[in-house]
Parts: sequence; structure tokens; C-alpha cells
Amino acid sequence: MTASLRKIPLLQVGILLFGAAWIWISKVPQESMNQAAPTVPYKGFSAPDFEVTTIQGETVKLSDFHGSPVVLNFWASWCPPCRAEMPALQRIYEEYRNTGLIILAINSTHQDNLPDVKNFIDEFGLIVPVYLDFDGTASNLYQVRALPTTFFIGADGKIQDVEIGGPLSEATIRVKVQDLLARAGLR
Amino acid sequence: MLPVLQVGPAAIQVEGLILLLGLWIGLTLSEKFCNGRGITSTQLYNLAFFMMIGGLIGARLSFLLRYPDAFIRNPISIISLNPGLLDIWGGILAAVRVGLVYAPRTPIPLLSALDALTPLLAVLMIAVPLSNLASGEAYGKPTTIPWSIYLWGMHRHPTQIYEALAAMLILILFWPSRWSSENKQPGEYFFLFMSLTAATALFLEFFRGDSQIFLDGIRSKQVVAWGILASCLWILKVIKHPRHPEMLEDSLQDRG
Repeated sequence: MTASLRKIPLLQVGILLFGAAWIWISKVPQESMNQAAPTVPYKGFSAPDFEVTTIQGETVKLSDFHGSPVVLNFWASWCPPCRAEMPALQRIYEEYRNTGLIILAINSTHQDNLPDVKNFIDEFGLIVPVYLDFDGTASNLYQVRALPTTFFIGADGKIQDVEIGGPLSEATIRVKVQDLLARAGLR
Repeated sequence: MLPVLQVGPAAIQVEGLILLLGLWIGLTLSEKFCNGRGITSTQLYNLAFFMMIGGLIGARLSFLLRYPDAFIRNPISIISLNPGLLDIWGGILAAVRVGLVYAPRTPIPLLSALDALTPLLAVLMIAVPLSNLASGEAYGKPTTIPWSIYLWGMHRHPTQIYEALAAMLILILFWPSRWSSENKQPGEYFFLFMSLTAATALFLEFFRGDSQIFLDGIRSKQVVAWGILASCLWILKVIKHPRHPEMLEDSLQDRG
């Protein structure tokens, strides 16, 4: 018995016991888990609210769509990857708009101009709802550093994923939309 | 935080750039010191190349199996360059499989190959947290310490910096020229490195603010790190005191 006990490498056992104790000490307290997520533009956090304008001049807030999964796509008419990506976004919108999915194509109007935006909509025959961010408030809130940038927001208002740059393939958007709908119990 | 570097019309992902740089420095370091471990640089590069190709194909296939519907409608996306269509764990498993299949078919002793790849892994362990620092991922929990960084709406532990510093320390400790293979069993260098890396991950996860949690607050990465640590310590014990004749034979073969 004593001989076999001596064979146990005490240092290794000590390290593993200390490791197990550290796991227990590191447990995340219940109150931290229940805390509301701060509103910052990154996955896992609550999506910041903003107000944008439609082509017709009506104002819309992100919070108007609370309870629905939302895809936020920041774009500009002069941006080549945005142009390459928009047809895929349009096809996804056509396919999923009856499932409860909301797509907001937010034009960075502070870096664009209205006639070009209207030409872009006509050229692509867009039915995806386009919104105008005249003073860049939404872009700044979402810390948009490159165009296009796409945010996938869950029905609970938390950001599930962020894609900086593009063009995103249709398969990429479809996979992320399917995840959004599945988590919202809509598919 | 600098996720994107805008160079004219091109948006360069800094995260990927740091990882590529890490891969290049790591491979150069592994190449420099692999000869002393019974592997030629050509063998090392071939092994790394096949593992990377296998890993990429495996990562895409694994993703395709998870979301077949998305690819049935857009089959061209199977060859898309978008890294978002890769399953990381599927890729790692495929790369390991390719390594395990490829190494015995060539005169590369497996344990020595792992030793030769250790400097590459050590450099990647520095590159990964630095790339996370650029993208804002793997962030720390809120704190009021003087060296906190302001990230995602509050002051947080700079966990990416902790992890990078710890990995640098491990690289210095395991600097290849300090570790001759004399009086060492093949594989000892790799599994010691893995043990220390797992122990560091287990310790530093405490400071993370984005841990995956299960069972009443337990951080899952710590449990995985503990499992890796226990396995590596056990393998180290077996390597140092091989009881079975087959292992002794393998060990001799590994030593060349």
C-alpha cells in the first residue's frame, strides 16, 4: 500500500487538484449572469438603438422591430463590395421576409448622396427596405469602419454576429439568417 | 482595437494579418531547429502544408455538413474564400487526422514531428491573443485595476495582453536552442509545452468576460484546459518511463 502510494507523482496530483480548485473559484457568480448586457456594437451585447429615415422621409427606430430577428447592412452606392453583395441580400430578403426576418439596408448617406442612392435602388430593383443615415449617427453608434458591415441581431435584441467587409456570399448570409430564425424559434 | 486596416479601397482584416505573420515566424523558427530533432526542413514543410490543406478542406466540409441547405442553393459557395464558411473544430480535427496519416507514410517519427512543430505552436499562441486584441474578441471581465483597457463600454482586464505575455514567457522558456534533444525523450518537449500552455489557459480564463458557461457558472474552457493538462501530464509520465516493449521500440525509432 505504502509502496504503491509512493508511486503516485505527488506534484502532478497537486497541480491537478489546484487546477480543479481554481475552476471552482473561477465560477461566474449568478448575479453576473443575470446582469443586462451593455449596449455596444459587438456580438453578445445589446444592439444600440438608432433612428434612420426612409426615402419617403419617415423616421424608423431599430427598437420598432424589437422581438424580430434583424439584419443590419451598412452600405454606400460607391462601394464595390456593397454593390456585389446587394443582389444576395435581396434574394435572402425575398425568400425570408414572410418568416418574420427584418432586413434594414442602411445607406451611409453622410458619405454618399441621395441621387446616387436612388439610382442604386433603381439599378438593382431593390425591394429590400433602404434607410438613410444622413448624419452618420447609426454608423458612429455601430463603429462602422469599413463598408459593407453587417450585423445579425437576435429577436432578444442581442447582436449574434458581425461581418466587417464584404462582399458576403449568399451562403454566408443564409447560414447566419437560419441561425437567427432558429434561435428566435421562427424556423 | 483595430479590426480593419483601410488601405485605399481595400479593407485588410488585421486579425488575419497577425495570424499569417505568426504562421510565417513560427514556421521559420520550427524550420531552423527541426534538424536537431531528426527531421529535415522539407519534411517539416511538407507535413505543415498537408496539415493546413487538410485542415482547410476539413473545415469547409464540416461546415457544409452542418448547413447543407445553404450550399445546395449556392453550390459555388463551396469554393468561396469567405472564412466565415469554415468550421474551426472540424478543421483542427481534419488537420490532426492528416498529420497522423501522413507522418507514418514518410520516415517522420510522430513524436519528433510534434517536437519540431512546437516552436510554431508557441508563436501562434502569441499571435492568437494579439489578433483577438485587434478584433476586440476574447475580452476581459470588468475591473477597476489601473492597467485596465476600455473596451465594449467599460474598463476591462486586458486578457488578450495577459495571454500574449504568458505565451511570450512560455516561448522564452521553450526557446528551441535551449532545449537540446540529448537526455530527452521524443515528445517530451511538445507535451511539456502543451502542459504549461493548458495550465496558463486554465489560470487566465478566470479574467475573461466572455467565457462559455455551463453547470451553474463553470467556465467550459477551464474544464477543457484541465483535461488537456491531465492528459499531457499522464503522457509525459508514460514517455519518461515506457513500460511496454512497443513503446520502447517507437521511442528508439523516434530518436532515429
